[in-house]
Amino acid sequence: MKKFLALLLVMVLALTLFTGCGSSDEDESVVIYQNKVEINDQLMAFATKYEEETGVKVTVKTSGGDSPYAENLKAEFQSDRQPDIFVIEGMGGYNTWESKLATFSGDEWIDLTALEFTVDGKIYGFPVAVEAWGMAYNAELLAKAGVDPATLTSQEAYKAAFAKIDGMKDELGIKSVVAMAAGPDMRWVTGLHNFNGYLSAGLEYGDTTVLDKLNNGEPDMDRLTEYADWVELLFMYSDEAVLLTGNYDAQVGQFGTQQSVFVHQGNWIDPWLNENGVDFEMGYAPHASVYGEHNSIFIGAPSYYVINNEGENQEAAKAFLNYMATNKDGHDYMVNEAKMIPAFTNVTLKPDAPLSANVTEWLAKDAKYTWLQNDMPDGFGMGTIAPLYESFAKGDLTKAEFIEQLANKIKELK
Amino acid sequence: MNRYKKDRIYFWIFLAPALLSFIVVVIIPFFMGIFYSMTDWTAIAGLKPNWVGLENYKEMFSDLAFQYSFMRTFLFTLLSVLSINFVALAFAFLVTRETKLKNFYRAGFFIPNLIGGLVLGYIWQFIFKNVVPAIGSLLGIEAMEKVLILADPTLALFGLIFAFTWQYAGYIMMIYVAALLNVPQELIEASELDGAGPWHKFWNIIVPMIAQAFTITSFLTLVNSFKQYDIIRALTNGGPTTQFNDVVVNSTEMLAVHIYNVAFKYNNMAEGQARAIIFFLILSIVAMTQVYVNKKREVEM
Repeated sequence: MKKFLALLLVMVLALTLFTGCGSSDEDESVVIYQNKVEINDQLMAFATKYEEETGVKVTVKTSGGDSPYAENLKAEFQSDRQPDIFVIEGMGGYNTWESKLATFSGDEWIDLTALEFTVDGKIYGFPVAVEAWGMAYNAELLAKAGVDPATLTSQEAYKAAFAKIDGMKDELGIKSVVAMAAGPDMRWVTGLHNFNGYLSAGLEYGDTTVLDKLNNGEPDMDRLTEYADWVELLFMYSDEAVLLTGNYDAQVGQFGTQQSVFVHQGNWIDPWLNENGVDFEMGYAPHASVYGEHNSIFIGAPSYYVINNEGENQEAAKAFLNYMATNKDGHDYMVNEAKMIPAFTNVTLKPDAPLSANVTEWLAKDAKYTWLQNDMPDGFGMGTIAPLYESFAKGDLTKAEFIEQLANKIKELK
Repeated sequence: MNRYKKDRIYFWIFLAPALLSFIVVVIIPFFMGIFYSMTDWTAIAGLKPNWVGLENYKEMFSDLAFQYSFMRTFLFTLLSVLSINFVALAFAFLVTRETKLKNFYRAGFFIPNLIGGLVLGYIWQFIFKNVVPAIGSLLGIEAMEKVLILADPTLALFGLIFAFTWQYAGYIMMIYVAALLNVPQELIEASELDGAGPWHKFWNIIVPMIAQAFTITSFLTLVNSFKQYDIIRALTNGGPTTQFNDVVVNSTEMLAVHIYNVAFKYNNMAEGQARAIIFFLILSIVAMTQVYVNKKREVEM
């Protein structure tokens, strides 16, 4: 009996040990759960500075890159470790998290940006940064080939330039004109970024007519046909290995090692180029996704900080975001530490990375096409249509079949 | 308190932690899963799931991508079970012979199993994409230099099986080694006296004597091939694409990957859950049939 009691005691002790881990009293602290692995350390450093200045503790939690943020965020909510600030990406994220979002009003930063996330006139999201993509070009190689990037504004101009550069491959020492990737690892490039040209190229900023039609299951056949010419042109002048099986490193690497003149990527490749010692001059030319003249690149805020309306520290969370947008420590963090392009007009610092610097010029000219790729139904871009690009690139689909299947996939959205 | 009663109490006390955690993390979620598979659940906190009955199951069977994934999974499983067991058995024979360094070989064949699937997938991706063409250009074989293994549906499947075999054969080999060492030497000597050749010895003595190992190894390889996820994710990521009934599908998107994509990429948690339940049922049926058939062939000493 004694033994039995002893055993029972041990079990109880063990149990209390386990339960002990569960609860602990925490000081008031704002938890921010974000999705950019590359700025994790910088944001933490900024949070520490913020705590020194104001005494409010900010805890930074990160998941992203290869680990899927959206799924992990759901897990956080399911497990009751709800963050005070988290990240959504456009309308898709809003639809998912609508019931959890608090609105902003009267915060100072709201007047300083045009890129806040609003639905029905209510402000829900604080723009994390501005990002953009176009056809990034190697200015030195273009000059050598005698092509002026300012002339690249239409499909005809691109066609002529690509043909000319392609004929000078050996002189320029390149493998292919364009570094483009359509393989299984790179479906976001085709299904989201490239396809966004169909949704918004050549239209007014904020025009969503093509997107609205898509969401209702109506393809715009004229636009699709014009757009397929652009896809074909890019694929035709790409290196087959990179196009079909290349990953991010292969695609950006081809551009970085000067084996291609153009790369279909955004200014987020700056850190990669910087780390690998790439220092040639570069800039952006518009995508000629459909016929006609183009003078803008795709600029937008890819993600927004939003406030959890069930969080206990909503006011503290808002104050933290406001501090980031209005204080010079915040500006220093965004521009110099995290290497981002802030969406706020009061920021005077300029990024030193080449593509980001070029984006600020486009932004200053207000030459922007809308980002609509995140407003399509979940999985449509990367899951449903991106495989079509791969089959088209391989030659399994002809251009006519590519257009037809793309149209069919859109019709299925009805 | 009598001895018998005391034993019973001890029995339950020792069992309780394991039983409790099993119920909490397996049994309860399993039934919750069945419930969710009949709703339109999206896993967003605060949203109540609506009952949709068998809608998700109907949707699944009319989905061409699912049908294709299903067939490919069976093909992949069949080929990998054959290839892994063949290689493992061959290795096992090699390392049970009296050779120098046999322990070194055993360790060598086993080590790939200690590398995680994701790492291994990326290693083989590098080999297929960069090393194979490099060797091709070194040897001056243009076909080998130009080949894009991961862009061809058939080659990519074989590449996947190759990488999986490389990882798993060493582990299965260990089971065969243990079984081979247990085959009584007298039996083999007796058969030799009766004039049995190497083939007869193998087929009539060794195979029946290691039938028990076959049950285990085929079960392990079958279940693990069927559930394969991490190597696929890292090596091919479901691609390359191919045509199936005039629809573009992902040629190496096996069921586990497919279910993940439906649930998380398309945010159709409930539909993914329905597919996972069918996946579970089919895997259980296949695995139990296999064990039953194999068991019948085992011999008792």
